[in-house]
Amino acid sequence: MSVHAVVIAREMWDTRDLVGPVLDANGAVKPGAVSTRFEPQDLNALESALRIKEMVGGKVTALSFNAIGDVDVLKECLYRGADEAIRIGANPIDLDTAAAATLAAAAIRRLGDVNLVLVGWTAAEGESSVLGSCLAGLLGMEQISFVDRIVEAGDEFVIGRRAIEMGEEDIRVDLPALLSLGVALIEDDPRAPRPAKAMLKLKHKKTEIPVWSPADLGVPDPASNATTVVAAMESVPERVIESTAVDPEDESGLKAMLERVLKGE
Amino acid sequence: MSEILVYIQIVDGGAGDVSLQALACARSLADSTGGSVTALALGYDIGASVADLVELGADRLLVAEDDRLSHYLTGPYKRVVRSVLDANRFDVVLFPATTEGNDLAPLLAAELGCGCVVGCDAVHVKEGKTLFRRTEFDRKVHTDYEVTVGPAIATLRDGIADIPALGERRGEAQSIAVDLGPADTRAQVVNRDVVPKTVNLKASRVIVAAGAGVGGPDGFALVKDLAEALDAQMGATRAVVDAGWLPADHQIGQTGVTVRPDLYIACGISGAVQHWVGMSDSKTIVAINTDKNAPMMKRAHYRIEADLKTVIPKMIKALSA
Repeated sequence: MSVHAVVIAREMWDTRDLVGPVLDANGAVKPGAVSTRFEPQDLNALESALRIKEMVGGKVTALSFNAIGDVDVLKECLYRGADEAIRIGANPIDLDTAAAATLAAAAIRRLGDVNLVLVGWTAAEGESSVLGSCLAGLLGMEQISFVDRIVEAGDEFVIGRRAIEMGEEDIRVDLPALLSLGVALIEDDPRAPRPAKAMLKLKHKKTEIPVWSPADLGVPDPASNATTVVAAMESVPERVIESTAVDPEDESGLKAMLERVLKGE
Repeated sequence: MSEILVYIQIVDGGAGDVSLQALACARSLADSTGGSVTALALGYDIGASVADLVELGADRLLVAEDDRLSHYLTGPYKRVVRSVLDANRFDVVLFPATTEGNDLAPLLAAELGCGCVVGCDAVHVKEGKTLFRRTEFDRKVHTDYEVTVGPAIATLRDGIADIPALGERRGEAQSIAVDLGPADTRAQVVNRDVVPKTVNLKASRVIVAAGAGVGGPDGFALVKDLAEALDAQMGATRAVVDAGWLPADHQIGQTGVTVRPDLYIACGISGAVQHWVGMSDSKTIVAINTDKNAPMMKRAHYRIEADLKTVIPKMIKALSA
């Protein structure tokens, strides 16, 4: 049995270093207030899938939804080594996790021979739940969550390492299985994630990515599978910090700062 | 009226702190809506260590004990919790937002076809609806979620409630049968490296923490000297724990502990969200970093842009003067 891995690649809000209010007066996300990026945990999922393919052979398929910004995550997957890419023709902003998982599960079933699914454990911010666990439940797959790196893989098994509260553990699962990944690999390993390759950019310059509509997947009304709704969004009162620069060369300044903070000032 | 189930995670042989906070949150919710609270604990030889859960807020305690439950593994734990959910009617099911809780909760929700919200900072009732609040968008936005298909499953973050003192509450405790099949034990832990807890960072008023930016053993030794000079506990990012410089119980952040000290000195810590969520409520933050653009430098009350190898000896000298 060879490995056919599906990577769920999501374009998500880039919540790093947000400046200014995110919400408008009605409590909705302001257009242009937040840009998007390839979800880092999904990048780790892609990198892990490509490493498994290098270990045992097989195929990597990238799966995503309609774009919400300017980042074409599926082209990025092809440029980094994915064998094929498929877009689900639905806007992810309109779907909660359960509804998105229903569509993704239908697409994975349609591919037919998938025995490994990899996805970021959760989007860093701005998502109410975890897609991987929902998918594992819907597909009836064994799951390992919070995987940081692949320890070993074979045609019929994967061993993933994950951090737990007081250490780490390695878990072996037989395929079919789902792995949801954190970001430690791409933070700790300077070789990860691999960059886009010029040759692959040329190869896929004119590649048309097929779009599977919800109707194609037998889920004509995906929003009907939603299990949560956003009742309200409100801005958190900004924690105003008067940040003071301390001159590292000024020993008396350092001493004064230490005296202040130790007194709780 | 809310019938609430609280999943109690066993940590070091007893109920974990975040689970006890979730129990307190459930008690408050049940008292305000006229419902009841059931606590569920899974493990092996844990009966005595969870006996006081009734006094801490549960009306009923369910205990599942089996040697196959001696360590957490998704399959068998999911089977037992699922059997409890199938046999009882609950409106709300609460888990701690730990590795274990965040693993189990959404998986059960997917199997049951109900809604799940992970990493909640608050639970409140508004116009008869139970709402689960998450802090999102770089902690700039509170989002309240309503679960439209019940039971509502949620995981609750450290700090959601205070753990109450033992009370006079009386309730019922019962053992539940554990019925596991081969399909529940397909995954195997092939290696586990867990250290026993040696430090209580949550109780520390001053924490000096080291990140990857300390550079190596020499830099780390300096941070340790500063902690000793301040009579402080040492904290760490995951990179430092992975490097073996400090044991895992010193780790602060998403897969470590959440702390709220009076003073937090971050040495060589960039301030990635995985660490920030574990210490952002510190009263005063001092950051030492060579990178003035590191997120921690932008969020600290006092920022020192310098190589810690030059500035920490000066700080120690100032403290001893």
